[in-house]
Amino acid sequence: MKIKGIKDLVIFLGPPLAILAIFVFYPILGTIIISFLSGSSFTFENYRAVLFETIPLKALIVANPGPYPPWGALVHNAVWIVIAVPTVVLLGMVLAYTLRKIFGSSIVLGIIFLGMVLPGVVSGLIIRFMFDGYIGIFPRIFSLFNIPLLSSTWTIYPETALFALILGSIWLWLGFSVTLYSAGLDSIPSSLIEAALIDGASEREIFTKIIVPQLKPVTIVVTLMTVMWILKIFDIVYVVTGGGPGGASTVLALIMYMYFASALEHNKAAAVAVILAALTLIPAYWYIRMVLSGEKL
Amino acid sequence: MAATTKSRKYVYIAAAVIILAIIGVFLYQYLTPPPPAAPTPPQPAAPTPPQKVKLVVIGPWAGDEAKYFQAVIDEYVKKHPNVEIEYRTMRAEDVAATMPVQFAAGTAPGDVIFGWAWFIAKMGKEGHLVDLTNVINEKEYVPGIVDAVKADGKIWGAPFTMWLKPGFWYRKSFFEKYGLTEPKSYSEFVQLLEKIKGIPGIKNPIATGDGVGWPMSDVTEHFIIAYGGPQMQLDLISGKVRFTDPRVRSVFSDYLVPLLQKGYFSEPIEWTTVIPKWWAGEYALYFMGTWITGMVEDPNDLDFFPLPESKGVVGGADYAFIPKYSKNIDAAIDFIKYLATEGQGVHASVPSGKIPTWTKVPVSQLWKPMQSVYTKITQRGMAILPDLDDSIGGDWQKLFWDQLKLLWVNPGALDSVLKTLEASQPKP
Repeated sequence: MKIKGIKDLVIFLGPPLAILAIFVFYPILGTIIISFLSGSSFTFENYRAVLFETIPLKALIVANPGPYPPWGALVHNAVWIVIAVPTVVLLGMVLAYTLRKIFGSSIVLGIIFLGMVLPGVVSGLIIRFMFDGYIGIFPRIFSLFNIPLLSSTWTIYPETALFALILGSIWLWLGFSVTLYSAGLDSIPSSLIEAALIDGASEREIFTKIIVPQLKPVTIVVTLMTVMWILKIFDIVYVVTGGGPGGASTVLALIMYMYFASALEHNKAAAVAVILAALTLIPAYWYIRMVLSGEKL
Repeated sequence: MAATTKSRKYVYIAAAVIILAIIGVFLYQYLTPPPPAAPTPPQPAAPTPPQKVKLVVIGPWAGDEAKYFQAVIDEYVKKHPNVEIEYRTMRAEDVAATMPVQFAAGTAPGDVIFGWAWFIAKMGKEGHLVDLTNVINEKEYVPGIVDAVKADGKIWGAPFTMWLKPGFWYRKSFFEKYGLTEPKSYSEFVQLLEKIKGIPGIKNPIATGDGVGWPMSDVTEHFIIAYGGPQMQLDLISGKVRFTDPRVRSVFSDYLVPLLQKGYFSEPIEWTTVIPKWWAGEYALYFMGTWITGMVEDPNDLDFFPLPESKGVVGGADYAFIPKYSKNIDAAIDFIKYLATEGQGVHASVPSGKIPTWTKVPVSQLWKPMQSVYTKITQRGMAILPDLDDSIGGDWQKLFWDQLKLLWVNPGALDSVLKTLEASQPKP
């Protein structure tokens, strides 16, 4: 019995473990080890160097002092999360709820979902157009209100570049949010809403006291997934601003790429990758915990 | 229950063993110094291989530009029917990003690859490339052009055709229509811009190209050469002169920044999409390289002028190299030798907007519009100088582009920009 158990373990766990070892564990461990290597010694030097770097296109915390911009990629990622996550959650929930009751909503949903299925580079180009001073919808709208800075091309000014990317990313990720909320709404028993209606509850009360609490597990998933997505965001930043101007829109993944591809400093690139992975692990941990506990949070 | 606990124990032990093994293998591989790269002996020009071979050539050109390069390949294949050449497009940025890892693994995705000069010199120095010292006769090239791909006294790259960034391009018909003439001094240049600004339909006198940022660096370098002198350009490259030097600052503050502040330059616009707008008369001038001649509707309506005080123009070649890991080194050497010599004549004879770096190509072989460009530059006696950001390369290049983007939209940030550039500028 004992031997059979070991045999089963080897047969069933061996192949997947071998594949995981080669394609997952080896690169992860390799990256971690590289991040601590400086020459042939183990040290925190790479981490110290990347965290306190002040060159605008490589700064993680504070960029070289100057009029623009004062902050590095970690701060940009944080600002991104603060703005994009609540917007994606709220808009996704409201849109999913509202569109259920409107004729032809599937077409609107399809348009919203378009952002999710487009390749990152194409999305980046569309974002460029959206914020272009001549043809972009946002500058056109603000030109009606005679706001000069917001009537120009957003992506070329340090004051607006990051916000253009954030707004663009909200459009891209909204499809995911709306889809999940739509599925979540379908799973709410109609008897709950009918009972509330019989008790004389208003539309607002039904939404705030029944729909929102019932959608809590979906909200947690959307929040965590959006945070993870924002932390590793790269493609649209690379295409739209390249992290500029003056490093005003750098993000962690772009800094990792800069070290890897431009500076050819692979150890520092690995250090940034480890920091990025560590930050992503926080929401990932909560997400996995929630899944394992049967979405009972 | 006990059996489950035991099974789990085995799983943990197995996982721990695997992880430890991986760490061990990794540390062994990473920390064991690699055997010293066998020096590649200088390669003599190889005879054409007798049997059928396939070469993979990787270059930066796509679209029409790829078509012009394909003409060069076709000409070679016509004379060497036993050689099959597959062309693949890869930008120089991607070559620099992906090749080092592949070279470290002892592989290469191509036999002849085009890349940045600084990257070629670096990879050559690290022992990944075939030494081309005996293939390239330096004396037959534009002076200084081979220097960029030399390291440790060896030549690691073959120069191909060259582009020039000679000045501000304009439509002859536009200038005739509004009675405009080429300026003879900086003050005349400013007067010209003011005149253009008053023309109906003009958004800005000068269109600013954008992309990853290089078009703005080209304009800036032209101002440095014109008002700081060709030597300042060379000294900035070597690091002898710093960006915070008062002489460098005055080039910016006295000549370039005032034009930005007066709105003579447009906002940065993607460099290819601005061409039809410029051609349609939304802008009058456009600073660009000679490849613009192949990108406009009517190259005969095209002319240019450098800044009047300029004694030099930036020129740069595309460079090809052969990775040591190519499986067809002999055939690759023969092809790269062709690229560096006769192939340049073919490339310059089509609308590529390039001129040869190999001095044995007669001017009469150049595509007609490029003949007049070339003649205009040589008549003015202008020196051909290396590109500042291409020569320094690495992440400083990206920083330079990015800081100039900032300067363009915020000229008041000049001192911060110069300080940032100086802080990362290589030291001599």
